Amino acid sequence: MRLQALRRLILTLPVLLMVFPAAAGVNDIDRLRTDASRITSLSADFVQKKSMKILSAPLVSTGKFFYAAPDSIRWEYVKPIRSIVISDKGNSKRYIASGGKMIEDKTGGAQAMKIVLDEVAGWMKGNFTANPTFTASVREGPETQIILTPAGKNMAGLIEKIEITVSRRDAVVKTVRIVESASAETRIDFLHAVVNQPLPPGTFQDIP
Amino acid sequence: MNVRLLPILCLLLASCSSLPEIRTLPDAAGKTTCPSPFVVQKTRFLHAMEAAAAGETRTVMIGVTVADPASRTLACALMSPEGMVLFEASRNSSGMEISRALPPFDSSDFARGLLDDIGLIFFEPPEPVERLGVLDTGLTVCRRRLRDGGWLDVGKDRDGRVRIRRYSEGGRLKRSVTLAGGADPYAAIDLQASEWIGYSLSMTLIESEILPDEARSGK
Repeated sequence: MRLQALRRLILTLPVLLMVFPAAAGVNDIDRLRTDASRITSLSADFVQKKSMKILSAPLVSTGKFFYAAPDSIRWEYVKPIRSIVISDKGNSKRYIASGGKMIEDKTGGAQAMKIVLDEVAGWMKGNFTANPTFTASVREGPETQIILTPAGKNMAGLIEKIEITVSRRDAVVKTVRIVESASAETRIDFLHAVVNQPLPPGTFQDIP
Repeated sequence: MNVRLLPILCLLLASCSSLPEIRTLPDAAGKTTCPSPFVVQKTRFLHAMEAAAAGETRTVMIGVTVADPASRTLACALMSPEGMVLFEASRNSSGMEISRALPPFDSSDFARGLLDDIGLIFFEPPEPVERLGVLDTGLTVCRRRLRDGGWLDVGKDRDGRVRIRRYSEGGRLKRSVTLAGGADPYAAIDLQASEWIGYSLSMTLIESEILPDEARSGK
């Protein structure tokens, strides 16, 4: 249950992150919900930095993220290991790099991903409070910060809090911090976000 | 299964599990040296790890290992490609500590087995070499008798790749590790585990880093 909640969280973060630009400058979850429902498509690059006690310098991962309403998602890591999660028309698949090509992950992770991505699709349609795992609050300051805190014991020992920082000046999300403990956190920076523009053909098709 | 076949099956299995013979070379004592690819300084490794069972790739992970040969301490973490930490543990002279273990990595047997495998790959065995010679395959090999039981062969192929093989007391091959030839043996690591359910790990180096020796620097 805790693992499922963690997977759900990690996979929903980019989506959560990307829907906030349209809502920057507001301090109300209902308004965020309304604005999120206006997004029909989005794409962005991302840089993820993982900090842990065992690492002297953060582990840097990079990739691309795509969404198309109502429920199509492609979350692609390019470095250091290529992996792709695609959810489209109710089917979810996860691909991993092996022997120089992409192969489908058949460990059962894809099934867990389906649960996750179904929820992501709900969020994309504005259902932010449908997930009881976290409580969301908005803090206004020089920049708008959305803070997610675990609502129950499911995330105990896994996630302390999540901070999403949105620039008030240009309404762009700058960073997401997932604080796992005093010595472990994940920071994701989204770059080159494009909202409501056509996506490349085949974005959500299976990898041959 | 026909029970009359069981003794035959047992004989067949027994015949497959004898320790390979070593032919002693005339000049072994003087000229031949034992290969030692093992870490000599505290080092952190970051590998892409591909786990397979029954010859089929099951999953790919990122593995972080810190190996300190002076104190023989190990720390390791397994992450999904998305950065989710699935497993984190360490082992020193006081014992093993598991700081995180999510399913299916949440059994102490898994933690112990993984740390044993990592120790096999990165640490030079403390036991002295008992025999030095050549296998029928042409592999130059040094054999140690392990304190915990069983045997360990470390050898080098003609192509420069180092092979580490651990056998049970009765000579059954339990682990086979092949390291890359060339300057960095840890650039590519292949581990084959021969258990009731066999598995393999293929590790490709992403980066490595020599770490300061805390004991020497007084930290």
